[in-house]
Amino acid sequence: MKEASIRGKIQLTLLRIIVYTILVFLTVLCLFFFYLMIINATRSNAQLATGFTLLPKGNFFVNLKNAWNDASINIPRGMLNSLIIALSSALITTYFSALTAYGVHVYEFKGKKLVFTFIMAIMMIPSQVSALGFLELMNKWGLTNNYIPLIVPGIAAPVVFFYMKQYMESVLPLEVIDAARVDGSNEFRTFNTIVLPMLKPAIAVQMIFSFVSSWNNYFIPALLLDKAELKTVPIMIAQLRSADYSKFDMGKVYMFILLAILPVLLIYIILSKSIIKGVTAGSVKG
Amino acid sequence: MKKLVAILMAALMLVGIVACTAKPADKPAETVAQGKVFNIYAWNEEFKGFFEKYYTVPEGVTVNWIIVPSDNGAYQQKLDEALLNQANAADDDKIDMFLAEADYIGKYVDSDYTMDISKIGYTNADTMYEYTIKAASDVNGVCKGVSFQCCPAAVIYRKSIAKDVLGTDDPAEVQAAIDSWEKFDAVAAQAKEKGYYMTASFAETFRAFSNNCTMPWVDANDNLQFDPQITAWIDQTDNYIKNGYTLTAGVWDAEKTNEMFATGKTMCFFGPAWYYNFCMTNAMDPEQGCVGDWCIVKGPQAYFWGGTWLLAATGSDNTEMLKDIFETFTKNEDVCTKLVENENQYPNNTKVVEKFANDPNYGNTAILDGQNDIAVFAELAKDIKWENHTNYDQILNEGLQNKLQEYFNGSVDKDTAMKNFYQLIKETYPNIKLPA
Amino acid sequence: MEAIQTGKKKKLKSVSYAKWGYIFIAPFFIAYIVFTLVPQFLTIYNSFFETYRIGLQQVGPNFVGLDNYKALFTPDPDGTILILKYAANTMILWIAGAVPQFVIAMLLALFFTSYRLNIKGQAFFKTVIYMPNLIMAAAFSMLFYTLFSRVGPIQALLESWGVIDHTFDFFAIRVSVRGMIALMNFLMWFGNTTIVLMAGIMGIDQALFESATIDGANSVQVFFRVTLPLLMPIFVYCLITAMIGGIQMFDVPQVLSKGDGVPNGTTRTLVMYLNGYLKTKNLGMSGAISVIMFIITGGLGGIVYKMLSAQYKEPKRHRDRGRNVQWRYEPKRHRDRDKGGNVQ
Repeated sequence: MKEASIRGKIQLTLLRIIVYTILVFLTVLCLFFFYLMIINATRSNAQLATGFTLLPKGNFFVNLKNAWNDASINIPRGMLNSLIIALSSALITTYFSALTAYGVHVYEFKGKKLVFTFIMAIMMIPSQVSALGFLELMNKWGLTNNYIPLIVPGIAAPVVFFYMKQYMESVLPLEVIDAARVDGSNEFRTFNTIVLPMLKPAIAVQMIFSFVSSWNNYFIPALLLDKAELKTVPIMIAQLRSADYSKFDMGKVYMFILLAILPVLLIYIILSKSIIKGVTAGSVKG
Repeated sequence: MKKLVAILMAALMLVGIVACTAKPADKPAETVAQGKVFNIYAWNEEFKGFFEKYYTVPEGVTVNWIIVPSDNGAYQQKLDEALLNQANAADDDKIDMFLAEADYIGKYVDSDYTMDISKIGYTNADTMYEYTIKAASDVNGVCKGVSFQCCPAAVIYRKSIAKDVLGTDDPAEVQAAIDSWEKFDAVAAQAKEKGYYMTASFAETFRAFSNNCTMPWVDANDNLQFDPQITAWIDQTDNYIKNGYTLTAGVWDAEKTNEMFATGKTMCFFGPAWYYNFCMTNAMDPEQGCVGDWCIVKGPQAYFWGGTWLLAATGSDNTEMLKDIFETFTKNEDVCTKLVENENQYPNNTKVVEKFANDPNYGNTAILDGQNDIAVFAELAKDIKWENHTNYDQILNEGLQNKLQEYFNGSVDKDTAMKNFYQLIKETYPNIKLPA
Repeated sequence: MEAIQTGKKKKLKSVSYAKWGYIFIAPFFIAYIVFTLVPQFLTIYNSFFETYRIGLQQVGPNFVGLDNYKALFTPDPDGTILILKYAANTMILWIAGAVPQFVIAMLLALFFTSYRLNIKGQAFFKTVIYMPNLIMAAAFSMLFYTLFSRVGPIQALLESWGVIDHTFDFFAIRVSVRGMIALMNFLMWFGNTTIVLMAGIMGIDQALFESATIDGANSVQVFFRVTLPLLMPIFVYCLITAMIGGIQMFDVPQVLSKGDGVPNGTTRTLVMYLNGYLKTKNLGMSGAISVIMFIITGGLGGIVYKMLSAQYKEPKRHRDRGRNVQWRYEPKRHRDRDKGGNVQ
């Protein structure tokens, strides 16, 4: 008995060592490139040309000033634009996906199975395969250099729908809806005031995912937006790769990359706890 | 089911209506002749900087810059898109002026999307360089725009390295040592022995060759053709790479521009006056730069490179301002003088150029050792001819360099690189007939 | 008393509830039709035409039937069919990133949820591993480019260690460019997958683990007999979304290789190929590529969905409250009537 428990303890300790080693390795791997980025954002172009270092230099604020005030890449404006688009599309995507999932989950109607299968089927189709027609149509409607084509299509997000549907299957007791009906609540009100709050954890998670994917989106916005004042951050970052960039100093380039990811990073660091808790709490409660 | 269809249809129509009315609400066009918004398309900030410094925008006019980087033809594609839409655009959304480079200016000049600048009151262009006018003129000789710069190009060399390799850093003697490609190659071998590179990019000498082509990239029947100059460049580069005379970096790569720090090991760079500001900021770095260690000479072969033309877009409602801008940057001697003194440019005004070329007190100290570079460029500018250009040049020139870079850096063999080049042409210009 | 009332209500109101289903799903379908379906048909339609631009000059549209497709599948002189090459590139790049992504994510999810291991600092680790997912692909790719470029710090470091000499070029070697792309994709997504899988594991009834352990199952058995089957739905979800992402792969290789897919087009993905034609408004060829991609994604998606949904077993808690309870709001008879219009 005792021997077994000692052996178990040793095994556990060994296992823990292995697990922590893996975790530390992954942590270093995740942070290494970003650490280098931050270090390099503190070095001047001339210092950068001297090679590798892990120690910061004193050029951070010079680079920051240069990047923030750069004439060709208006990064503050780009960040504002990206924020507007990402926030709106996150709200729209999660709300309408929940609405659609609710419609399919709760109601019995003719063709419901077909609807579900259809959405599942289109989930596999990447948006790029209709990009050509999409651009043509937006051109025709005069919606280039406009944020509508970047936000409104988020209403139809099959992946988010699928997640919401699954979530509802596990956490949404239909008695609640019945009870609301008994109380005379109409269907929309039931959804908005009773169901949505119950979906909070799922909505929070999907909002983050939608926000991130919109913030990161490069393909379609790059094809739709030309006006300097409308450009989003990814378009600006991709521009760093263009021929002109040798006229930039590399310190500034690192600063641009840092600025492009910093706001989301800060939001994430502040909210990460509740997000992760939201994910887990939702599933456990279910 | 009918209900569903009905709802869908109704909603679809609603979306349609919203979409149609959601167009940016343009303010009603002013009834006065001149517009309030001036839209400029450009591929970088270079001209914007000069514009903001030296041109006073009339009161009440807003200037919009639409800037798209030119890589892989992206600028041309966006500009084409906008021009094709020009007729339908609201007055304040119409392009008033756009910038074009030597590699593709013909496409716009020979179209109805640019207008005769004499019609907007710009005349008497006798101080401009002949070739800049020819480049901006259509087949009937109607001029559609102006260039604010003239781009004779030279060899820009590091004096200290020349001294070490050739025993002299005097421009006349250096020129004598590299006045043909044979001699240039011989010096490259000498430089290598001393531990230097002759050039810092495999494509550094490209424009010196390609600008001396005797036939266009594409003939009248859309056949692709390789000029002997292009083949000569490929052979030279092949040789340079094999012998380690140059680096595998592209012309715009940081690896190349890092060679311009004081610690750099490269002797020669090829470029016109705009090259100073555009590519040589490292040489001017306060900590690690090497201002004053540079001189320019003609080199093996006279050539020009690039140039920025300002073209008048058909449909502009700001014609007076257009004329004003054109005059400011070509006729205003004060502005042209400042372009030399403050911006290291070579302006498109022969009068101002001559003033500097003949001024014994003038010397470029911003980057050179006080040499009168304007005098050197002025001599080179005399020989510039505008010929053998096609509308495809940007993609073909840049595409050839990009695809061959993979051969020169060792990732593919030469045949594969050429095959990739042809594939690029096939994708971009399906009409061009490739060699079998 | 209450139960009866509810039951009555169900029956009474059941007729009118169906319409709410349509209303609730309407926005989705309208948006889908306007922004995806119509464009999709336009794309397919265009693929049968020769239509492109040479600068300002428009060629076509001329109806050419299947010529664009023929052109896509015509081998070039040395026998390469480009579209197949790019499809293979895309698959290789995705798999190279996705395999470690799922293996590591599954391991981490198990570590984090294990009471026995009781990992400390979980919040920290989770925050860190999810972080790269927030990084804009374009920015991350730009960062890798600058770090691994010929003048970047990684090159300098490896040179100073004597691992490589200064002629080495990360971007000239197929394995290294593909490796960088796979590494980026892995880093960007394994944290995300970990968190989603964790949520799945934590949603499993703890009693199941306990009873399995009491029955003498070891942790490996628990994983394969209890955790994995119950985790299947969420795993399907992860895999499907990852695949969608993989087929769409564009930003990372595009920015990293400046659109060229260096070296020798070995990192050029399908969407990069599509993008090449899109830029010159070659609607015919890009339409044909889009249709091919549509077919590939459809096929792959169908296989994966079929394969995994065969094993789709809902966790126990679902069964309690979910599907097996058959939450029908309308009595069966009523539904039949709806269908056939034939009462009794």
